[in-house]
Amino acid sequence: MAEQTTSRRSSASRKPKKNQIPYGFLTVAGIVGIALLLNMNSSNVAFFWLTGAAFGFILQKGRFCFTASMRDPYLTGSTSVTRAVIVAFAITTIGFTAIKYGYANAGLAVPGMSYVAPISFATLIGAFIFGVGMVIAGGCASGTLMRVGEGFVMNTIAFFFFMMGSLWGAHDFGWWKEHVISKGSSVFLPDIFGWMGAVVLQLGVLLILYVVAEQYEKKRSGSH
Amino acid sequence: MENKKTKFFDRMKSNEYYIKWLKNPFTYVTAAVLLSLFQIVTLAVSKNPWGVSGAFAVWGAWIFEAVGGSVDKWYYFASPGAQATLNGGLLNHPDSWRNFGIIAGALAATLLASGFKLKKIKSFKQVAAAVIGGLMMGYGARLAFGCNIGALYGGIASLSLSGWVFAVGMFLGAIVGSKLLVKFFM
Amino acid sequence: MKEVMLDCYGEACPIPLVKAQNSIKELEVGDMLIVQIDHSCAMKNVPEWARKEGYNVEVEEVDDGEWEVIIEKTK
Repeated sequence: MAEQTTSRRSSASRKPKKNQIPYGFLTVAGIVGIALLLNMNSSNVAFFWLTGAAFGFILQKGRFCFTASMRDPYLTGSTSVTRAVIVAFAITTIGFTAIKYGYANAGLAVPGMSYVAPISFATLIGAFIFGVGMVIAGGCASGTLMRVGEGFVMNTIAFFFFMMGSLWGAHDFGWWKEHVISKGSSVFLPDIFGWMGAVVLQLGVLLILYVVAEQYEKKRSGSH
Repeated sequence: MENKKTKFFDRMKSNEYYIKWLKNPFTYVTAAVLLSLFQIVTLAVSKNPWGVSGAFAVWGAWIFEAVGGSVDKWYYFASPGAQATLNGGLLNHPDSWRNFGIIAGALAATLLASGFKLKKIKSFKQVAAAVIGGLMMGYGARLAFGCNIGALYGGIASLSLSGWVFAVGMFLGAIVGSKLLVKFFM
Repeated sequence: MKEVMLDCYGEACPIPLVKAQNSIKELEVGDMLIVQIDHSCAMKNVPEWARKEGYNVEVEEVDDGEWEVIIEKTK
């Protein structure tokens, strides 16, 4: 697409491009090699490494950015990333619930319940602080890691201070737990609405958000 | 030999499947579908959704311990599970390796598209933005039991109301962050 | 008809897009805006925005990881 476009400007000013594809294949070979090494110690660690590489590859190829999904509607009026995030939430909800329901039906402990976190004022405050930080730093948690791989020095600095901020947060966590978090409780939607009800309700909300996002974008781009 | 190889990779640049799958970006929705697939794989195999920032706290603790500090008395690291993670080391911490994998996967994708460039710091503003933004993300993620991946994506997909509360907080934060960004960091 | 260069090398998302949105307002119909970027996300969202606005857009890869988005203000 980009290759076919002809520029009015002289191509003589262009530097000759280096071909980085061989290094790309070397990196892929390195990823496989490290997976084999990790596998000698623990197949679980090797699995995490490979899924991580898949996540990184997909995030970069899709320029998938959770920061943009939250920021662009306000800042630039675009909701295309927001809508893609909604699609991801919807598909993953269906897959996750299928797995969880399978376990529950078999009378086994439902997996992933530690991600059903208690809701308190700390959830809202923490998410708010996180939201401000990710827009300023130009990348969320996954986005920061992905951009470290892409060669952004700025995100590498942000990554280091993300770790330091996590340490700080872990240091203060006892206080928050005692004074704020312990006053809240976790809410697992199927406990209230049943499995089917919770999925239908959530997909309905996501559908409404999708339509609202699209209409909002149309309105914003028509307004000037 | 070397010459032949370079020619092979130069020819590859005009191959239609190379352009479609490795050169051009995926659409946002394609990425959404693929991420969902690997999220579901992750839950099915490891019995937990994908998480990113929990490992950052562990790395922070290792760095702190390396410079002589101790986190053993901190409530966050006091549980036997957290202590086992800290003592188990990097090689036995799967979450760390998933994060390394994200960096490696993104690097591979960039190189295969022949689009890698080291993007240096342009101004002091960027350093300030990275320091402040990084600290805020780290602190916020600990309060809210995770980041955009674990607390938001994993939370919502797990049918947890906490994911939705996180989404509201994060959205409001992004609006305030946008205002600050345009005012101070642009 | 003038050509305006907008140097956004080293700028992180969403700054290139916001700068492009601001500077195209200053231009007359028929003018060209050339946004120079090296942020892979901006290489997607700047053209996307400009196409949505109905402008003519070309993306040229000038070097590894560097692009010029050429936008013609058509209306």
